[in-house]
Formats: sequence, C-alpha cells, structure tokens
Amino acid sequence: MNLIEIEELVVRYGSITALDGVSLSVSQGEMVALVGANGAGKSTLLRALSGVVRRAGGKVRIQGLFAHVPEGRQLFPDLTVEDNLRLGAFRSRERDTSWVYQLLPELERTRRQRAGTLSGGQQQMVAIGRGLMSRPDVLAIDEMSLGLAPLVVRQLARILAQLNQTRGLTVLLVEQSALVAFSLCTRGYVLETGKIVASGTTGELAQSSLVKDAYLGSVRKAAS
Amino acid sequence: MSAFLSYVLHGIAMGSSFALVASGLIIIYRVTRVVNLAQGTFAVFAAFTTSTLLGAGLPHGAAELLAVLVAGILGLLAGLVAVGKRGTSPQASLIATLGVAIFCYALEILIWGDQPRSFPGLAGSFELSGLELPKQYVVVVAATILVFALLEGFFEWTYAGKALTACASNPYAATLVGIGVVRMSLFGFMLGGALGGVAGVLLAPLSPMSYDSDLSLFVNGFASAILAGLKRPVFALVGGLIIGMAEALVAGYAKASYQSALALLLTLAILVVQGARRPVLQATEE
Amino acid sequence: MRGIMRTERYALPALLLAMLCLAGLFDETVLSLYVLFALAAIVTVGVSLLMGQAGQVSLGQGAFYACGAYTAGVLTTQGAPGLVGFIAAPFAAAALAFVIGVPLLLLRGHHLAFATLAAHLIFLSVVGEMTITGGDVGLQGIPRLRVGGFQFDSVLSYAYLSSFALLVVVILARNILASRPGRGLRALSSSEIAAASSGVPVGLYKLAVFALSAAFAGLAGGIYAFYMGYLAPGSFPVLLSIEYVVMAAIGGLGTIAGGLIGSAVVLLLVHALSRLATMSGMPSTAPVILSYAVYAVLLMAAVLFLPGGIMSAITPAWERIFRRTRQ
Repeated sequence: MNLIEIEELVVRYGSITALDGVSLSVSQGEMVALVGANGAGKSTLLRALSGVVRRAGGKVRIQGLFAHVPEGRQLFPDLTVEDNLRLGAFRSRERDTSWVYQLLPELERTRRQRAGTLSGGQQQMVAIGRGLMSRPDVLAIDEMSLGLAPLVVRQLARILAQLNQTRGLTVLLVEQSALVAFSLCTRGYVLETGKIVASGTTGELAQSSLVKDAYLGSVRKAAS
Repeated sequence: MSAFLSYVLHGIAMGSSFALVASGLIIIYRVTRVVNLAQGTFAVFAAFTTSTLLGAGLPHGAAELLAVLVAGILGLLAGLVAVGKRGTSPQASLIATLGVAIFCYALEILIWGDQPRSFPGLAGSFELSGLELPKQYVVVVAATILVFALLEGFFEWTYAGKALTACASNPYAATLVGIGVVRMSLFGFMLGGALGGVAGVLLAPLSPMSYDSDLSLFVNGFASAILAGLKRPVFALVGGLIIGMAEALVAGYAKASYQSALALLLTLAILVVQGARRPVLQATEE
Repeated sequence: MRGIMRTERYALPALLLAMLCLAGLFDETVLSLYVLFALAAIVTVGVSLLMGQAGQVSLGQGAFYACGAYTAGVLTTQGAPGLVGFIAAPFAAAALAFVIGVPLLLLRGHHLAFATLAAHLIFLSVVGEMTITGGDVGLQGIPRLRVGGFQFDSVLSYAYLSSFALLVVVILARNILASRPGRGLRALSSSEIAAASSGVPVGLYKLAVFALSAAFAGLAGGIYAFYMGYLAPGSFPVLLSIEYVVMAAIGGLGTIAGGLIGSAVVLLLVHALSRLATMSGMPSTAPVILSYAVYAVLLMAAVLFLPGGIMSAITPAWERIFRRTRQ
C-alpha cells in the first residue's frame, strides 16, 4: 500500500517554479531515497507534504501520519531535550518519551540539557526523536548527514534501519549525498531543478552514469 | 531620608505596572515579532471598565477581574487585526496596532468621555517607622509579584507555555510539529491584553487616567521591555522597577516634566548601543 | 515601480491646476482647509519617501515640523527678518535630523519607530521647558511674513505660499527619485545588504533621506508659524506624527502623488466628519470620536488590504487608460 503518492506536483514561489511536475510514491515499510543537489527542490517537496507550502498543481496523497524532520534540525533551542521531544507529540497527545530514550539511549543523559547546547549529532537525534513522538507511519528526514561526521551518520542510519525493521517505520530519506541514502534505502529518486530525472532501485541508480558522476563522486574516492 | 524613601516606594509601585505592561509587550513580541503599539490602551480600557463596574455595584476584586478579562478580549481583537490576515508584514502589523490604539481612543471617549477617571483603591496606609506606606502600593506590588510568579510557572512548567515558547523561538518547526502559529499568536495577544489590563487596574487608583494615558504607559512599558532585553517576561520586572524608580527620583529631585524624557533617553541610549554592536547581516533577521 | 513613476507625472499639472483655481474663487473656509492640506502634503511627501523608498518607519516627523515652526517663530520674535526665519526653518529641521539621525539610524524596524516616537516626545518636553520658546504657554505674536515689501496677511496669500512650497518639494522629490541616488535609495529599501554590496553608501543615503524629509517638514512648519502667528507644544502632539503616517500609508508609501492624495483624502474626510459631528444634536466629543475612528479604520484598512495605498489601486487603471490613449 502506498503511504505517499505524489502525482505531477507543481510548486511555485512567486515566479520561480521549484517543482515542475514531480511524481513519486512510497509504499509501506519501504526506505526510499530522494537525492538532489542544493536547490533541486527536495525541501520544497517535503514542505508540500507537510502542507507548509501550497500546491500550484498536481496531487498529493498521504495515508496515515506523516512526520517531517526538517533540514538543519530546527530544534527549539531554549527548551530542554525532554521538552523538545514532548512538543513533538503536540498532535498525538501521547506525551510519554521513555520509548524514544530506549531507541536513542544517548539522549537519556542529555534529557535536561537545553537543546541549543548539544552537538550536531545529538541535535539530529533529538530532531528524529521529536519526529517519532508524533507516532508517524512515515518519517521524512531532510539532509540528515549535513554537517555531521561519517561515524555519527552511520550511527543514525543504523537507528533508522532498526526502526524500519522492528517497528515497520516507513522512511523517506532526502539527501544531497547519495552515499548514505543508497546504502540505507532500497529504492530511490533523483531530483534535479524541480524534475525527477531518474528512479529505480538504489542498485540500478548507483550504476547509472548520471548518478555516479554527480552524486557518488566520493564512492570512487573511498574505493581507491 | 524619608523623602528619598517615599520617592523610591512610589517608583516601585509605578514600576510594577510598567513591568506588567512590559511583560505583555514582550510576550506578544516574542510570539509574533510585532511591537504592540496598543499595549497601553489595554490598561486604560481596563481601568475605565473597572470604574464603571464599581459604579454599577460590583464589589472590588470582581470588578477588577472582569475588567482584566475584557482587556484580554480586547487583546485578542487587536491580535486579529494585527496578525489575523495571512501575509501581513511585521511593519504592516506594527501600523495596524497603531490603528487599534487610535480606535480605542474613539471607543473610550465614546463610552467614558474625555476627562480623566479614577477609582478608589485600598484606602489608608501603613505606618512604618515614621514612613507612610499607602496600602494601595502594597496591593500593587503583591499583585505584580503574584502575576509574574504565575507567568513564570506558565512558561516553565506547563505544556501550553512551552508550546508558546517554541512558537516564539522557531515558528517553522512549530508548524511542522502541529503548533498553529496563528492560534499561538492570538493567544499571545490575549495574554498581553490581560497583562496590560492588570497594569491599568492596579495603577488607576494611584494616578487618574484619561484616554491618552496609554502613550506614557506604552513608552514606559517599552522602555522597561528594552531594558529587560525583550526575552523572558520575568526580566521585565527588573526593567520596570528601574524605570519606575528612576522616574520617581527625577520627579522628586528635578523637574516632574523631565521624568518621561529621562526614561526615553535611557531607552534610546540602550537601543542605540545595541544597534551599533549588531552588524548589518544580523539585523535583517528581525 | 516604473508604472507608479509615470502616474507621478500627473501630480504636478494637477497641483498647478489647483493653484490657478485658488485665485479668489473659493471662500475662506475652503482656502484655510487648502492651506492645511498643502502643509500636510509637504510633510507627507517626505514621510512617504522615507517610509516607502528608503524603508524607514518614522513616527516623529511632527518634531521636525515643530522644529521648523519654532525656528521661524523664535528668530522672528527675536527681531530677525521674516525671510531669514522662513529659510532657516527647513535647515534647522535638517540639522536636527542629521544630529539625531546618526545614532537613530543604527536602528531598524520597530526599534526605529519607537526611537522616532521617543525623539518627538523628548523634543516636546525640551521645548516646553525653554523660556525662549515660551515654554508650555507658547510663543505668541509671531510677525507676519514680509518678503520685499509684500506682507503675507490673507489666507489666500498663504494658500499661494504653501502651494509654491509644495510645488518646489514635489519637483525636488521627483528629481531625486529619478536620479542615480534615487535608484540607490530604492535598492536600499528592498535589501540593505544587496545595496551595500553594489556600492550604495547605505548609511549616508539613509541619513540623507531622513534629513531631506525633515527639511520638508521644517519648511511646512515655518509657513505654519507665520500663518498661525502663535505656537505651543500643544500644537504638535504625537498624534500629528501619526497623522502623517496615516496620510502616507493611505496614499501609497513611496510615491509622491500618494503623499498628495493621502493628505487630501484624510483631511477632507476628517473635515467632513467634523462638520457632521458639530451639527446640532451631536455631543461635544463627537468630532474627536469620529476623527479618531476614521483615522483608525482608514489606517487598518490601508495597511491590511491596500499596502500600496490608493496609488496601488488606481495605478493599474491609470495605466490601462494611458495605454489606450497612446494607441
């Protein structure tokens, strides 16, 4: 069953067309990657899913609860980690945070710390935790790896994979670098200046020359 | 010595109401990024309403509470005008609150006329080692402390208070999490209105108000808010007391007409120094 | 922006037409209303440019108006010839603007708005204390303006004088807007950073516009002093500064024609309402209530629904007519 279905989505900011007829879908239990350079329209797509920006055309269908973890973490810096998490449950009203600390044990000791004082990796964990608090069926994460050390990113990726396997959480991972996204996800799309230019399994995409040159440059370097 | 102390006491009483006005300004500003030019009119409206209710036979306490409620509703209406319409820029909202303030003038003169009004507070005074301490001063200070304690509790310990803070610090993330920014903004305005109302209700017995008293209340309130750094409402208490005492001392030892000019100059000085320190880049974030 | 500039062309001829009509055709009431309009328009054009083109909010233009008025009044009551007072007025106001502008223009948005409001209040408080200005009671017996043998006595003469001043202001403003500094100014209001990086001396321009709009207000104030013959701090309440903002906002911020239209609309409306309110049967406070209510509603409506003011509403229609007549 498709939890997210986007058909020919068009989004405009004034006279600029950010998304020009984008179609994609995410089925239940999947981990899907959306890769694109800066300004390609990735964040706009997520904002359209969250309802923060208006559609100029096309259809968006979401089944179940959708949680959007925005780029740059976007925490509430003056509130504690605990408060940030609890505010994530604003809609769902189930304010108990203990299960999130079980999934992300490193956050337990930062519970009473002001979110603005945490490290990048910890903040990203809080952001993901806050998204999880709304008990979503689909979790979309924008630029998770931005500004984080590879070790930290791998740790976060492991957590997402675990969530996907044990709790059936559907994940839409939006990234600039395809490296993490393709290693974690089974299927993917490539977005360029508002249009989907490639789609398929991540294995296929990793082989395509388009993706290789633009988004997987680091793979070759790492391999050699 | 007793003259000095009496000035200080007067300053504390006045400063408390400035602090209340300031806290309303701060809350509204933090949540909506709008400076509410009508903040003083909430106080005046509440004061007038109280005098009418008392005249109608309502007991003390009930009249004041009802007036504060009315002020809260007025705040809500002001909020609807200022931020109710999508896409209103902060500059436009600022001017819209100016419109609200002027409309309140018209309303106030229509209902109550253009002459100064007051109502009796707590009569009599305490005798403290030769010093006369009017009981109303005690009421003012006690009520102010109570209100500020409640505010702190609201923001530090309640979920709604945290949601309001969240909305103020990061409206984008708040929207994603489901906190309606418009709803929070209106709530902020309502709270600001009520706080302004409390200020008016406490101040009126000490100093009769007319429809244009809101200007000096706003100016003093804003000055206190600036001193408090426009961040946490609690700091407004300190800011208000400083402004109140400074003004009382100037009025006592220098000329009374200079007291407002002093508060203004102090505020301007702080604003300019802050403005000079801030580089151009940061300023555009406002 | 270009479209608005084109309709600005009609501001001048319209004004000239109005001036010609003045010649003895109307009675004193209309003429005195006209003088008020012209004086308000002079200040409002300045406010409109300041707020619209340079993006600065000013709630204190009344102080510069008062500064010009008091300069002219004090100089002439101390024995200086009328012309000296008349010319000194705008310069004094501009000088004041330069002095307080340097610290004040470090502020932005609502901080600047508050600062200008505070400046007005401080100015009033200072003027109310000085003996040379007559303190709270005010300055009386300001001699009528004499220029080379001709004495400005009648309302008609002041109508012409203020029209002439308005003409000068409009021409000056138009030329500045069309010039290179004018374009730099517009760049300023949209983005200070962009303007600064393209070489626009941001601080200097802001100060210059601030001083220029103050000069306009000072000029109007000077004329006001000679026209009234009497000044007091009570003639220049904070509400006056707010009135100018209302007029500018309603007419259309950033446009010269908007400054004229806004002043005309507001003054006419207020006058009509006060006539209505002073009819028998209405309470004595009715005029005040109605004028406040009208200001308030106009302001809120303008700022919420017509942020470009009346000019933004009529400009598209104007353009259509203009294009049709071209073809």
